[in-house]
Amino acid sequence: MEDNVAIKVSNLTKKFKVYFDKGHSLKELLLFRGRSRHEVRTVLNDVSFDIKKGEAVGLIGHNGCGKSTLLKLISGILYPDSGSVEIEGRVSSLLELGAGFHPDLSGRENIYINASIFGLTKEEIEARLQSIIDFSELAEFIDNPVRTYSSGMYMRLAFSVAINVDAEVLLIDEILAVGDANFQAKCFARLQEIKEQGTTIVIVSHSLSQIENICDRSIWINEGRIEADGTPLEVHSVYLDYMNEQRQKNGGKALDMPPEYIAYLQERRYKENLKLSMIPEQQAAVEANGGQYRWGSGEVKITSITASGPDGVGKRMFEVGSDVYFKVHYHVEKPIKDAVFGIGFFRNSGENLYGTNTRIDGHKNFDIDEDGEFTIIMRRIPLMPDQYTVSFSIEYGDGVPVDYWKDALKIDTYRQTPDVGGFFMEHDWEYDAYEKDGREDGSGS
Amino acid sequence: MSRLKEIYEYRLMITSLVKRDLRGKYKGSVLGFMWNFVNPLLQLLVYNMVFSIIMKAGIDKFYLYLFVGLIPWLFFSASLTGGSTCIIAQKDLIKKIRFPREIIPISYVTSQFVNMLLSFIVVIAVSVVSGVRLTIGGILCLPLIMIVEYIMALGIAFISSALTVYLRDLEHILAILAMAWMYASPICYPESMVPEKYLALYRLNPVTPIINAYRAVLYEGRTPDLTTLLAATGIGLAMLVVGMLIFAKLQRRFAEEL
Repeated sequence: MEDNVAIKVSNLTKKFKVYFDKGHSLKELLLFRGRSRHEVRTVLNDVSFDIKKGEAVGLIGHNGCGKSTLLKLISGILYPDSGSVEIEGRVSSLLELGAGFHPDLSGRENIYINASIFGLTKEEIEARLQSIIDFSELAEFIDNPVRTYSSGMYMRLAFSVAINVDAEVLLIDEILAVGDANFQAKCFARLQEIKEQGTTIVIVSHSLSQIENICDRSIWINEGRIEADGTPLEVHSVYLDYMNEQRQKNGGKALDMPPEYIAYLQERRYKENLKLSMIPEQQAAVEANGGQYRWGSGEVKITSITASGPDGVGKRMFEVGSDVYFKVHYHVEKPIKDAVFGIGFFRNSGENLYGTNTRIDGHKNFDIDEDGEFTIIMRRIPLMPDQYTVSFSIEYGDGVPVDYWKDALKIDTYRQTPDVGGFFMEHDWEYDAYEKDGREDGSGS
Repeated sequence: MSRLKEIYEYRLMITSLVKRDLRGKYKGSVLGFMWNFVNPLLQLLVYNMVFSIIMKAGIDKFYLYLFVGLIPWLFFSASLTGGSTCIIAQKDLIKKIRFPREIIPISYVTSQFVNMLLSFIVVIAVSVVSGVRLTIGGILCLPLIMIVEYIMALGIAFISSALTVYLRDLEHILAILAMAWMYASPICYPESMVPEKYLALYRLNPVTPIINAYRAVLYEGRTPDLTTLLAATGIGLAMLVVGMLIFAKLQRRFAEEL
C-alpha cells in the first residue's frame, strides 16, 4: 500500500440476502430448503477508493444506499463478498456509544469496560481516564451508578470515552447528535482537534452540514456505487439537486422529502446556533465559485440584496456599532405558502457568527404570491473590523429551502478605536484607583 | 495466528466483561458477593436431604460424591447451553463494534469458570470437613484438571455459540443434549454401574476423565490417574483448536445473521 494511504478500498462488493420471511429455525431450514424465499441484493458494487492519511471523508447518500454498509466493511464488522479493505494503523469505530455499559456499575467502572471494548489496555485507559472524566463534565457523579444518570449524562460519558480513544483511523456513524448544543459544539471542537493531530476520519452522516464542517472530502454513494467524490460543497450541491429532483418526481410535497434532507436543513439551523468553522478547502471552493453557493426549490428567487445605512444608500463599509439595513428583493415564479425569511452572518473562515429567521423571531409564516421585498435591520452590529459574509434564505416552514443563498453578500466593518477582538462588547469601568489627573475617587467609562 | 495476537491485545475486554458479569450479577442483593458461596452451600443442603434421607444411594457420603462431580459439570453444561446464546445476547456489540468476536465466548466461559472456582472453595471446605484426606499430589493436580476442563469448555462454547447464530433451534437442542450428556457422565452414579459392554463407548465421553480426576482428589483423597488426565488434555486442546477454527469461519457473517 502506498505510503500516504490510510484506507485502501479495492473492488469492494457486498451482497445481502434479503429474506421475505427469515427463518433461523430447524423446521424452516429442513422443510423449506431451496424454497426459502430470498433475493440477493447487491448493496455495494465494485467500489474502489483511497483515503489519504489525515484526510477527513464524509460518506453521504439516501437511506439504504450502502453507506453504512461501507463503513461496517471498513471497520471489519462485515466481511466483503469480494474485494478488499486495507487499513494502515489502529482503527476505532464509533458506531455505537456506550457499548457494554452496565447500569449498576459506576461511571468510572463503565469507562474501563467501554474503553476496553475499543481495544485499549489498562495503562492506556488510566492515561486517558482524567481527560475522559473532564470531557464528560460529570465531575463527582462519575462514581455514581450509571442507572442514576440522565440520558444526557449517559451520552456525554459514552461520547467522552469514544472520542478519547486515540486511533489513527476513526470511523463514525451518526453519533454526533448527542447531548445539548453546547456539548455538541464541544464534540465538534474535539473532533477538529483530533483531525488536526493527523487522524484519518471517515464519517457517515445524514447531516451534510456536519460533514461540511469536518470533512475535506465527501463521497456520495448511490445504488451501491460512487456517484460523486470531491469537496463536500461540490458533492453536496449535486446531491441536493438530485434529491430535489426525486422530490419533484414524488409530487413536490415537502412531506415526501427524504428524511436526511430535512435533517440537513434542521442541522443547518443548528449550525447557525453553533460556532463552527469551515475548513480552508471548502472556503476555497466557495471563493472559486464567486463566493456563492445557492440552492433551493426555486419557486421564489432572491433577485437583489442591498446593504445600507438608515439613508438607504447602498454601501459595503460599516462602522462597528452602526445599524445595517439589508433590503432583499425577490421574484415569484410560483406562489408559495408558509414561508420564512432568514439571515446568517459568517466570518471569512466560514465560522457562523449569528443566524436567525422570522419564525425564530416570532413572526407568522408568510404566503408569497407576488414579487416583493423584505428588510432586516441589524441594530448596532458588534462585529469588529474584518470582512464578513451574509447569507439569506427563503424557506418553507419545515426548513426546506426555496432559495438559500449562501454568502450572498460581503460587508466590511471598521472602527476608530484600537480595541481588539471578534465582537464589540458593551461595557463600563468602575474603579477605586486614582486616575492620573488626581481625582480622589472616580468612575468613568 | 494473527487472531490470537488480536485476542491478546483485547485481553482487558475479557477481564472487563468477566468483572462486569460477576459484579453486576449480585449487585443490589443484600448478600451480594457472598451469594457465590451461599448458593452452592444451599444446593448441597438440598442434595444432602434428598440423598441421605429419601433416596439412599448406597454410596458413602453421597452428597459429597455428587457435589464434587456436579459443580464441574454445571460449569461445563453452562458453557455448552449458555454459551450457545452468548453471541446472540451480545448482538448489539457484534453489529456495531469491531473486536475479535472470540472475546464473547471466552469471557462467557471465563466468568462461568470463575463462578466454578468460587464454588470450589466451598467444595474443598466441605470435603475437608467430611474427613477426606487430601494428598499433596492431588491438590497440585487440581489446577491442571481445572485448566483442562476450561479448555474443553471453551472449545465447546466456540462451536455452540457460533452455530446457534445460524440455527436458533440449537439453543433448545443443546439443553436436551446437556441433560443427556449429564446422565452419560458419572455424576450422580459411579462408573461401576455402567454395563461392561457399554463401557468402551462410555469412556469416549471426554467429561468422564475430568469428573473422575476431580473425584479422585476431593472424594477419594488420592492423586488422579495421570495418563487419563494427559489424554483428556489432548482431547481438550483438540476441541479448542477445532472450536476456534469453526468459530473463525462462522464469525464472518455474524453481523448479517443477527
